[in-house]
Amino acid sequence: MDRKKLLAQMMRLRDVDTIKDVKPLTAAMFPGTHCPLMGAAMAIRGIQDSMMVIIGTDECSYYTKHMTLHSEDYGGLCGRVVSVTLDSHDVTFGCVKKVEQAFAEIMQEYHPSAVFLVTTCVVEIIGDDFDAAAEGLGRRYGIPVMAVHTEHFKCENHMPGLERTMTACFSLMEKRPCNGSVNLLGQRMGNFESTELSRMLTDAGISIGLQLPCGCTVDEIKNAAAAKANIVVGDIALPLAQKMKQCFGIPYVFFDKFVSPDRIAACYRELFEALEIAPPAELQGLYEKAREEVIEAKPELEGVSFIYGNTPFRVFEFTRFMAEMGMNPLVVQTSAIRPEDREDIAAIVECSDPYVTKTANIAPMQFIYDELHPMLYLGHEYASRLRQKGIAMVHTDGAGSMLGFECTRLVTRALLMAAQEARDIRKGGDFL
Amino acid sequence: MSLCRFLPTPSDRMGILWSLLCVEDSVIVEYGPAGTTHYSMSLFGELGIDQQNRLFSTHMSEDDVVMGDVSRLEKALIEIDENYAPKVIFVVASSVSAVIGSDLRGVCAYMQERVKARLIAFEQGGFRGDYSIGIKEAYHLLIDELARKDAPKKPNTYNILGMSAGVYRSASDLNEIKRLMREAFGMECGACLCLETDIGAIEACGGAEISLVLRDEALPAAKLLEKRCGVPMVAGAPYGYKGTLDWLNAIAEKLGRRVNPVLTGELQKRMGENMSYRMVGLMLKENLPNVTILGDYMTVKGLSGLMEELNFPVTHKICAHCLRAYSDPDAEIQYLPDEKDKINIMRGLDHALVLADDIAKTLIPANCTFMRVSSPLVDGAVIAKHMPIMGPRGADWILESVETYLQTLN
Repeated sequence: MDRKKLLAQMMRLRDVDTIKDVKPLTAAMFPGTHCPLMGAAMAIRGIQDSMMVIIGTDECSYYTKHMTLHSEDYGGLCGRVVSVTLDSHDVTFGCVKKVEQAFAEIMQEYHPSAVFLVTTCVVEIIGDDFDAAAEGLGRRYGIPVMAVHTEHFKCENHMPGLERTMTACFSLMEKRPCNGSVNLLGQRMGNFESTELSRMLTDAGISIGLQLPCGCTVDEIKNAAAAKANIVVGDIALPLAQKMKQCFGIPYVFFDKFVSPDRIAACYRELFEALEIAPPAELQGLYEKAREEVIEAKPELEGVSFIYGNTPFRVFEFTRFMAEMGMNPLVVQTSAIRPEDREDIAAIVECSDPYVTKTANIAPMQFIYDELHPMLYLGHEYASRLRQKGIAMVHTDGAGSMLGFECTRLVTRALLMAAQEARDIRKGGDFL
Repeated sequence: MSLCRFLPTPSDRMGILWSLLCVEDSVIVEYGPAGTTHYSMSLFGELGIDQQNRLFSTHMSEDDVVMGDVSRLEKALIEIDENYAPKVIFVVASSVSAVIGSDLRGVCAYMQERVKARLIAFEQGGFRGDYSIGIKEAYHLLIDELARKDAPKKPNTYNILGMSAGVYRSASDLNEIKRLMREAFGMECGACLCLETDIGAIEACGGAEISLVLRDEALPAAKLLEKRCGVPMVAGAPYGYKGTLDWLNAIAEKLGRRVNPVLTGELQKRMGENMSYRMVGLMLKENLPNVTILGDYMTVKGLSGLMEELNFPVTHKICAHCLRAYSDPDAEIQYLPDEKDKINIMRGLDHALVLADDIAKTLIPANCTFMRVSSPLVDGAVIAKHMPIMGPRGADWILESVETYLQTLN
């Protein structure tokens, strides 16, 4: 593969305005992005007494069920992911009737509290109206039935599947008197109870209401409008939070997995203002400790080059954090550029000049490593292959169940460890 | 047959993919949304298939779907040809490109001039049937497109047609067949469609002395090879002791050779040792032996033969895939498209020996004895490549389950 040609194909971050300007490294991708069907499965997993009904090809259904075979949340092989698979007859004549028949069997055998009808690419092409079908089935059986559309040819990755599933839950919510709790919207992985944010809220006497999609019941979704505020962890929860604000007047605070101590401190301030209580005194100490760790790490990380792949954090906020520490971003991979990212992008290009390309295409990235020689790779890759090229992998998956200043500490330590590893790998080697 | 509670039967497209991924020196390009490709990695990994630098997706946008734009595919073909230099690029349709009617054969035809690799299109998008149909088409197209008429004769080699990575313990079965052929005739395997093979072997398969056709899905490919290159074939798979000896004798007859008498003697000895199982039914008063077998057609037929050797009645012979590829299927082997029928049979068993898949295991009553002989696999993983279901070694292993089973009968 011609490395120079590959590099020439990539845009510089400073020249990019929207995600449409960002090109994939190659037209042939491996492994490629995840699909929104998988995103929907990730979201429904946390809604304990609901069912997921996949409406699509044998293949889509097979892979989704396969993914959940060892999931305790889903109940494994006999669990609450089922499917209605389409054959050529259904593609020609529609599949709504078939789904209605299957639905009768579901109600008889599983007695769910709510059902998500998740439609895949082919259903969206043939145009069956599953919004209407869901409404009709809901009326007939007296339970909430929601259609979630997961066609991948209209979006970049799995995130819209999560977002649409969460947004569909709005139809379950009913007006409730305020009970002073907060809802946690958008936490995808891990256990919220083990996070710093959860501890701060509990210490302040705040009870946690709905946790969507990381663990809740259908009843908790119905009662979500009793909250005093919503905490939004990630963009996937924004549409739902905005709807809840518009309909129930519940304010939301965007408290994503940020890594910059100042950004996290601002989130805490906004949150406790919305709750109209004083923040716990411990917070100031946590903030100062996080800042100290960053300042101490700076000399060690100065000049360390990296390629950003995929982490639990926000791509541009995290890249900015590293760039402002004096690190050198060579390539940033992303699948989206949102209005919220503008400020971070501006800060990144002020102190560096990285390339930008689409995520989930590690096959051609091998040739980029040989050209740019990064010290670190952030994201999922084959670690042994990277080591051979003098690159250390930065492990941050542990942040799945972290929120608050603990994220700063995790990334700072992970970066220091990986930078040291990269130096060790390169000792005596010819990697430049 | 509306609701699928467990894993659906894999589609024709899935069968095509796991077949083609077993052919080295080739690359697969899927023309469709990338998520399906990424999603498939876990299953293919479980089947022991390497995908690195072998499987690519073009992704498809709404514009591609609405406007029928195939420029992504064109670019991908050029890139892969330049960067990986495979001998063949298989262009496989997705459900989306199949529904909108993308003309992949047409794209391959005009792109062939611009790339060095041979381009072969598979336009099945998952709607033409299950994996049985997919592997049939893969075998046939591979022979049709790649097997050279002028392949030089290669004495003492044979082809295997009808091996499939989707079959439980297929790598072990392949090794067992290779061992048997070496011991029986001193012969070596040329091409194996489709497991652990490569483009060169398929191109040269017309030079082999014989084709061993394990399953009917491979018959059209074998007939084509026979017609094109004069390679004779023997149909059938080696299950059980007698079944293996019969299979070897059929090959010997076709080759005009004798099976190594040492191997024949060993198999006959094992057959003799198992005669005592034929008396079991006479000694039991309450629970008589009864067996249920579920799996691919060749597995069900083969293991039914082994049970007949033992005089154990097989009450249910259930085929995991459709029988459209079979011109004259055994009337006792049923394909049950409605999952509910399979569930009812499994739940209704009583003191049965169940040779089936992991789904059946979750359904059968506690008084049954289970042994996994077919995919899908839910618990654990397959690691060994020396523990077959086929051949005398497979039969030995199954007999261990039979012994466990007999201890549960009164």
